[in-house]
Amino acid sequence: MANTELKSDNLFEMMKIHLATDAGKELTKKIGLVYQINIAPKKIGFDEVSYVVDLKKGEVTKGKYEGGKPDAIFSFKDDDFIKVATGKMHPQIAFMRGAMKIKGSLSAAQKFTPDIFPKPAKL
Amino acid sequence: MSTRELVTGGAACAVSGSSSSSSNPLGALANALIGSSSKTQERLKEIPNAAAATSHTQFYDDPVAALPGSELDHPFLQSNAQGSDFIRGFRTAHDNGLADAWDEIQRQPHLDRVYNAAPAPPIQPTLDGPPQRVLSSFLHSFVDSSRSGIPLHPTPLPLLGLSQGDKQCIRDRSSIMARHFFADKSEEFINSQVNALLSSLEIDSDSHAKGPMPGRFRELEDYWNESQGILKPGAHAADGWVTEFSQHRAQHGDPDAWAHSFEQQHGAGGWASEFEQNSKFLQFVSKMSRGELIIDDNQVKPASGSWATEYQQQFNGGASWADEFVHDEVSHGPAQWVNEFATEREQEPVDDQWVNEFSKLHVDDWTEEFGRQVGEGALGDSSSDNWATAYDEFLNEQVASKERSDASTGVYVFSDMNPYVGHPNPLKEGQELFRKGLLSEAVLALEAEVMKNPENAEGWRLLGITHAENDDDQQAIAAMMRAQEADPTNLEVLLALGVSHTNELEQAAALKYLYGWLRHHPKYGTLVLPELVDSLYYADVARLFNEAAQMSPEDADVHVVLGVLYNLSREYDKAIASFKTALKLQPNDYSLWNKLGATQANSVQSADAILAYQQALDLKPNYVRAWANMGISYANQGMYEDSIRYYVRALAMNPKADNAWQYLRISLSCASRNDMLEACDSRNLELLQKEFPL
Repeated sequence: MANTELKSDNLFEMMKIHLATDAGKELTKKIGLVYQINIAPKKIGFDEVSYVVDLKKGEVTKGKYEGGKPDAIFSFKDDDFIKVATGKMHPQIAFMRGAMKIKGSLSAAQKFTPDIFPKPAKL
Repeated sequence: MSTRELVTGGAACAVSGSSSSSSNPLGALANALIGSSSKTQERLKEIPNAAAATSHTQFYDDPVAALPGSELDHPFLQSNAQGSDFIRGFRTAHDNGLADAWDEIQRQPHLDRVYNAAPAPPIQPTLDGPPQRVLSSFLHSFVDSSRSGIPLHPTPLPLLGLSQGDKQCIRDRSSIMARHFFADKSEEFINSQVNALLSSLEIDSDSHAKGPMPGRFRELEDYWNESQGILKPGAHAADGWVTEFSQHRAQHGDPDAWAHSFEQQHGAGGWASEFEQNSKFLQFVSKMSRGELIIDDNQVKPASGSWATEYQQQFNGGASWADEFVHDEVSHGPAQWVNEFATEREQEPVDDQWVNEFSKLHVDDWTEEFGRQVGEGALGDSSSDNWATAYDEFLNEQVASKERSDASTGVYVFSDMNPYVGHPNPLKEGQELFRKGLLSEAVLALEAEVMKNPENAEGWRLLGITHAENDDDQQAIAAMMRAQEADPTNLEVLLALGVSHTNELEQAAALKYLYGWLRHHPKYGTLVLPELVDSLYYADVARLFNEAAQMSPEDADVHVVLGVLYNLSREYDKAIASFKTALKLQPNDYSLWNKLGATQANSVQSADAILAYQQALDLKPNYVRAWANMGISYANQGMYEDSIRYYVRALAMNPKADNAWQYLRISLSCASRNDMLEACDSRNLELLQKEFPL
């Protein structure tokens, strides 16, 4: 396990598996957009790792989106992404505080809400 | 730019310096429509520095009502009726009598009645008469055409003497208005209407078009840019307003003086006029929310796309953004605002500033008014409530942030009003309470113990365990750290720290503690080679643990630690295997069942997870963590109704479990139980328990 592990990796792993379940398939029906999420460990824009959450096909892949242009691209710091995905921070607030940067269609971005992501259970 | 000029014409279209004294009918019309509600009249009375009393301020009210979100506040599909009403009133005005006409319009009773007014038959524009009359009647027919759906025909008009500024103004305003009127019609219809209007008025609709982009988008950008044109060159468009303020501030060191000078410069309606400037901002934002503008590298670019169809979708988006301000309870006096502003200016990236700025506006009464209106009126959708309550929560978070930051830096936060302080033997009491499963009570007793004896490792350890079971990893970590200080070799402490850090996704720290467990273990300590301590690689640690497991396969602890380790590396199958092995050796360990369940849940085997949690709960009914985990597993399966019940149950046992509150909120909105969001935000457990029993 490298030291460049991000906390967010866990969430994306869960998301990947989640999308294969029934609940996950519901998501693809409900949203049907492609998001690219760039996570930076310390500061937005530096050492970013990209994930593509494809809610059309229902898969999560690491790396930038190859099949065209994603509907929305987000940039977060690692910690902030966790906060938004687990509902600790509202996406609107994150945006207003600059903790979340958005590129692309704002309407697509607005559909990106905490309830998309499955929550991690506690050991 | 002052709103005064709006009435007198000219500056409304951001052609700075325009001193046209002819009235600006289209601008006035647009502003009237945008601000058309009698409710808005009272809005700005309380705005700082807005002098009341003169009739002129009445004029400011309406244009100023074009505040963030207000534009989207009104059901524009009905604005046609308002429009004709206004035009009717307007037509009675002469150049100088505009003020009177305005007053008259304002004095009309609730414009609700106009919503019921039957549409008037299309009126042919009168082509004679003074230019203003002609223009107004022509505009009237433009508005009417929207209601009747009759396409507007380009009509040759006598020379109206419109200045370039007027023309640009009309062009911009008409295109915006057209979109509001014809939101349900096709893009082509809108374009043709506007073009007809413009060509009749001999306004060149494409004078600013660049390349293939639709003219009106570019217009708006230019419009925006021009309005900022007077500011520092090179300032980003969005900064304009911001830099303007900083300029003012630089001139007057004293914050209050700034406010005064601002007032001087902009007149009595100064504050209001700044909001008017926001109407451009507002349009900008609403364009953004409609997806027409793309934010790319923090530049704004137009997007192609069907504006009209997205409009309705975004209707709520933009307004709900505005709703943020509704619940701004953070009150800053002007001085403080300016100070904050000035400091922020230096520190923060510029793009964020104007955003931060708005979140600190001191406009309580206005926002109340606005909020009421929004709540009653046009939106009728819960998304605005979500915004508002989201903002409330944000503020609550701010208030509680000190506490949280303490905990997150590992500082333990003691409870207030601890009834066990002074108890002769709080440790024993705490252990008893823990055994009985009264976790929150146990916390208090144990806190009393460690307050008395800060070096009591056992006290701290148990406190940490209790917090973990109470689903509060932050406090658990804080307590455990103290325990570790008191007793650095305690294996249980090290394991608990490893677990809590794993839950917080702090992988490096978790690894450190789990490795520490191995190192301090009397039996396996020999496996550890000293040089590994500094650079911990997961693979090495895992290998060591496997060796240990081979050394003594009957040792459940090793398997438990292995299970946690595999969770770290997300090798869930191996983790599950380890926990199952451990469970075979210790079947009555409720926390083991929970660990198994959590591992299954995190590998999205939610159905199995629920079974494991149930086992844990059978063994320990007050296991808050397990209740919360149950809720999570249901929620992840999309069974939100059920998840709510479990969350509420967990919270009933530990109202301090912040995680659970957040998850509850998410589940409530997923289950479309927005009526209970209020209860959730105010942490009204009674109501929630009544509503969602298990």
